[in-house]
Amino acid sequence: MDTNIEKIPTTPPDEITWEDDLKKVGLLRRLLRARKWYGADWWFVAISSLAVLFFILVAIFPSWFAPYTPDTLVGPRFLAPNEIPAVSVLIAPSDSTISSLKDLAVDENADRPKVAVVMGASTSGDLNDTAKQIDADLISEGNGLRLRPVIERYDSLDSALQAVADGTDAVAVIESTEFAGVSQNYTSLREAGSLTGEVVSTSTKGFVMGTNDIGQDIYSRLIYGTRIALIIGFSSSLLSLFLGVPLGLLAGFIGGALDRLLSLVMDSLYAFPGLILAIAIAAVLGPSILNIIIAISVLYIPTYYRIVRGQTLTVKEEVYVEAARSIGARRSEILGRYIFPNVIPSVAIIFSVNVADAILTGAGLSFLGLGLPPTIADWGIDLARGQRFIQTAPWMITFPGLAILLVVLAFTLMGEGLTEIFNPKLRDR
Amino acid sequence: MTDDILYSIRNLTVDYKTRAGIVHAVDNVSLDIRRGEILGLVGESGCGKSTFGKALLRLHDGPASIPAGELWFDGRDLMKVPMKDMPEVRGAEIGMVFQDPMTSLNPVQSILEHLTETIQAHEPGTSDAAATARAEELIERLGIRHERLNEYPHQMSGGMRQRVMISLALALRAKLVIADEPTTSLDVIVEAKFLDLLKELQEEFGLTILLITHNIGVVAEVCDRVAVMYAAKMAEVGTAEEVFAAPKHPYTQGLLNSVPNIDMDEIELYKMGGEPPSLLHPPKGCRFHPRCPQAMEICGQQEPSFEEIANGHRTACWLYQAHEAAARAKEAANG
Amino acid sequence: MPPITLLAIIIGVPSILLLAYVFIRGTTGLRRYILTRIVLTVPMVFILGSLVFFIMRVLPGDPVSSALGPKGTPEMIQQIRTQLGLNDPMIVQYGRFLGQMVTLKFGNSLVGGHRPIIDEMSERFPATLELIIPASILALVVGIYGGTLAASRRKKATDYAFRIYAVVIYSVPIFWLGLILQLFFGVKLGWLPISGRIDPIIGTTLQTHTNLYFIDSLITGNWSALGSVVLHLILPTITLGLIQSGLFVRITRANVIETLQADYIAAARARGIREKVLIYGHALKNAMIPVITLIGLQVAILLAGAVLTETVFSWPGMGSYLVERISARDYTAVQSVITVFAMLVALISLAVDVIYSLVDPRVRY
Repeated sequence: MDTNIEKIPTTPPDEITWEDDLKKVGLLRRLLRARKWYGADWWFVAISSLAVLFFILVAIFPSWFAPYTPDTLVGPRFLAPNEIPAVSVLIAPSDSTISSLKDLAVDENADRPKVAVVMGASTSGDLNDTAKQIDADLISEGNGLRLRPVIERYDSLDSALQAVADGTDAVAVIESTEFAGVSQNYTSLREAGSLTGEVVSTSTKGFVMGTNDIGQDIYSRLIYGTRIALIIGFSSSLLSLFLGVPLGLLAGFIGGALDRLLSLVMDSLYAFPGLILAIAIAAVLGPSILNIIIAISVLYIPTYYRIVRGQTLTVKEEVYVEAARSIGARRSEILGRYIFPNVIPSVAIIFSVNVADAILTGAGLSFLGLGLPPTIADWGIDLARGQRFIQTAPWMITFPGLAILLVVLAFTLMGEGLTEIFNPKLRDR
Repeated sequence: MTDDILYSIRNLTVDYKTRAGIVHAVDNVSLDIRRGEILGLVGESGCGKSTFGKALLRLHDGPASIPAGELWFDGRDLMKVPMKDMPEVRGAEIGMVFQDPMTSLNPVQSILEHLTETIQAHEPGTSDAAATARAEELIERLGIRHERLNEYPHQMSGGMRQRVMISLALALRAKLVIADEPTTSLDVIVEAKFLDLLKELQEEFGLTILLITHNIGVVAEVCDRVAVMYAAKMAEVGTAEEVFAAPKHPYTQGLLNSVPNIDMDEIELYKMGGEPPSLLHPPKGCRFHPRCPQAMEICGQQEPSFEEIANGHRTACWLYQAHEAAARAKEAANG
Repeated sequence: MPPITLLAIIIGVPSILLLAYVFIRGTTGLRRYILTRIVLTVPMVFILGSLVFFIMRVLPGDPVSSALGPKGTPEMIQQIRTQLGLNDPMIVQYGRFLGQMVTLKFGNSLVGGHRPIIDEMSERFPATLELIIPASILALVVGIYGGTLAASRRKKATDYAFRIYAVVIYSVPIFWLGLILQLFFGVKLGWLPISGRIDPIIGTTLQTHTNLYFIDSLITGNWSALGSVVLHLILPTITLGLIQSGLFVRITRANVIETLQADYIAAARARGIREKVLIYGHALKNAMIPVITLIGLQVAILLAGAVLTETVFSWPGMGSYLVERISARDYTAVQSVITVFAMLVALISLAVDVIYSLVDPRVRY
């Protein structure tokens, strides 16, 4: 609004030639030269575009990045990030032939075998689980054999191992890594094998983000979650775009009763809390990806509608449009050649912010349990599950949330940067 | 510094930082404003006169800065005053009237609030009642009924708003009033009334006025002396009679020739050829030389200095500095 | 007296008085403006309500059979449907729905106790109110102060810090922020409680009049309750408030920057008005005007955020009520809750517009 004609322009006449040169150069060089002109905002758009492309890549080829599929049970539950899964092994006297827990099964009426564990170790859980399972198998076999070990708890590893060496207990169940350190003290004992008789896995790696409550790899679920998030984000935004933009163009161009009616409906929708509307729609339609997409897209149609309608109205009043009309241009021509190209930058900006918002809303919906069927790997669902175990397994919530943040941030930054570049004075209306 | 010079500006330079480099919006300009006079400052758009006017109050936008110059106002160099103390000078000693009174007034403040705020900002002890009384008196003097003080800017006409602006500049009896294009947004009749008012007030309050405008007609009507700026430099200064009757600088001559005159016989209007130069890469030597009908060889090589050629009449042009020019040219050739 | 009535009085009476005052003292222009706004609000609420009605009826899925589950025989389903009036012609149902909106008698909930929905909502509503008011205040304070600070130190570190903050906080999922705060301050440090409105044991000592626990503990002098309420309020308020603040920071900053470039600011500076007064007095006041309308827009985002925050912190408000009722397939309740939300949005937006007209004199005349 500078009415003072004296102000030295920040684009002195020389700049005009600079920009003319720009037009003669190819697109790539134009992009690079724009860096100097737009400064920080160019970097925003550049970096965030690269990030977005990266995320799209991850979404299309998750198997390149994820070591497991999201459903695979890769190991013990509640493994902290990089925690090496503890495998329980049997420690038995060297001269015995015991190679698995099943070997301890005895007749129902015979003395129950005693098994030593260290107090508080997770191995007792494994022992219980495996013993129950084997016992159930034995019952169905019907040989009269049962496995109901008496569990003797000891204060320390040494006292537990000592008990086996003494013969007090039949075997000890400890973590595989623990025995290696002290085996030289117990020459009469040997590592007999895993509880079930299978080969002991000696993996020395943990899982980089840990495992969740059923033992799935969180990192893999994160990678696959990208796919869902981006599908929801892009699809709903495109749907909103294809519905909102034409409606806006029509309303702005034709005006009259259609405009008033549409605007009233759109304004009401726009003012309404988006998430709540999406919840309502999703609840009624039922959980599926398509329904989520539809529910979310309804939310953003008014945004496209309003901006496009506003711009259409403005452009319609421009002199050159009147001039075009006076030389007999058809309405469809005016719409296509004058109005539409002016509308594109704003639509691009809205689109990137829209995708960001859609991903947030989608995650919110699945967090509330109203979104996707629980079999799909999704960040929102993972966060909801993580909340139940926040005390014991806090890593379950950190990583999915961070993933949402990064992806949404990338799109938002892109929108911010584009806003500054295309229209430095564009306000949020 | 003689007593009759109120404001002596010496070698003032104002720089603007742009994406393409540093622009000297005002380049080594000197000017003396005498007490009690109305001095007109004219020039084309972009020549730097508004920037100059604002710099006199050390008012500049973000990308602007004042790297050099002395601003001797009433005996002290304002450049040496710490920036945080400048608000005391502004409004109280030097006042400013802006071009567009609609945008220069706060739309959500009443006229009364504009005035009382100004008074109380400079004289903090003033009670609301006293400030209001002064405001009423002042606005009546400017021809606006004091009942209208409670109105808002958008309720007043353009001429009234401009008078409000003057009242703001006078609220604290400023010694110098800088008027930046005050009549550009007014229609001709209102403009004439405004200029009459200006002259009245000048006599009544003993004001000194710097009138910045691109309208030579206005200058001719009210100004005692005239200064002409071109491309961020001062081209000519002198009394109104001298400058209008016998302009020395070819640019001033061209400017005066461009004003359409009802007595003119010629069918075509006189146009000065060419365009004002880019301030990012100004022409070598005298900045006007590419357009000057009397340009000499030296004009393209060396810049003329701003010299006094008659009593109080100064100009920067080689036409009047022939002797020095030759001498300097020889010096330049030798080494 | 039932809490909802008390609440209605506390909010309603001052509002009506304010409206009356503005009406009487204002000029014709202002009166016309307010009347127009009120008149326009009514269709908006009805449009939204009708949208909800149609969405719930027209889209596939039968609420009753979902609610009864596999146990429901076709006869039972039909019986209940007739009972609820779901077999009546659409027009009749719509008319009944409109009547319900006006009288606020929403009927009984389909499942779990069949309590009148209005009773359940009147318990939940104050809880939500007690959350969104402090959160909005926090958002405004942080947003406006931060935005102005950033604008006054343009292109310096503070400015960039606030801009980054605004973008990041906008991108953070609100429920994740809540979880992280719970993790950090609740679980790891153990300083603050992470669920509920008040300690359950202390809660039994609190006499509830308005169901706004903060007010109730103040008026009954129950200081331990007050302490517990405040502690429980901290994390949810920060969660909801910070997320909101991002937008306020951005808009305030942008508006203040733009206002600072205005001619009247330059003119005031030329009169010797000090920079601080210019920024925090003039520019901020002018920049605030569009921000006020923004508050009206923010209500939608605020309520959406409230739903998620209430879920994370097990806060017994309208938001968590909505989610619960959906999981329970109690569609009558869901429909009613959403309608109430629509009314709330319309009312707040009306209030904001009235306040706006008071602040900006250009609208008045």
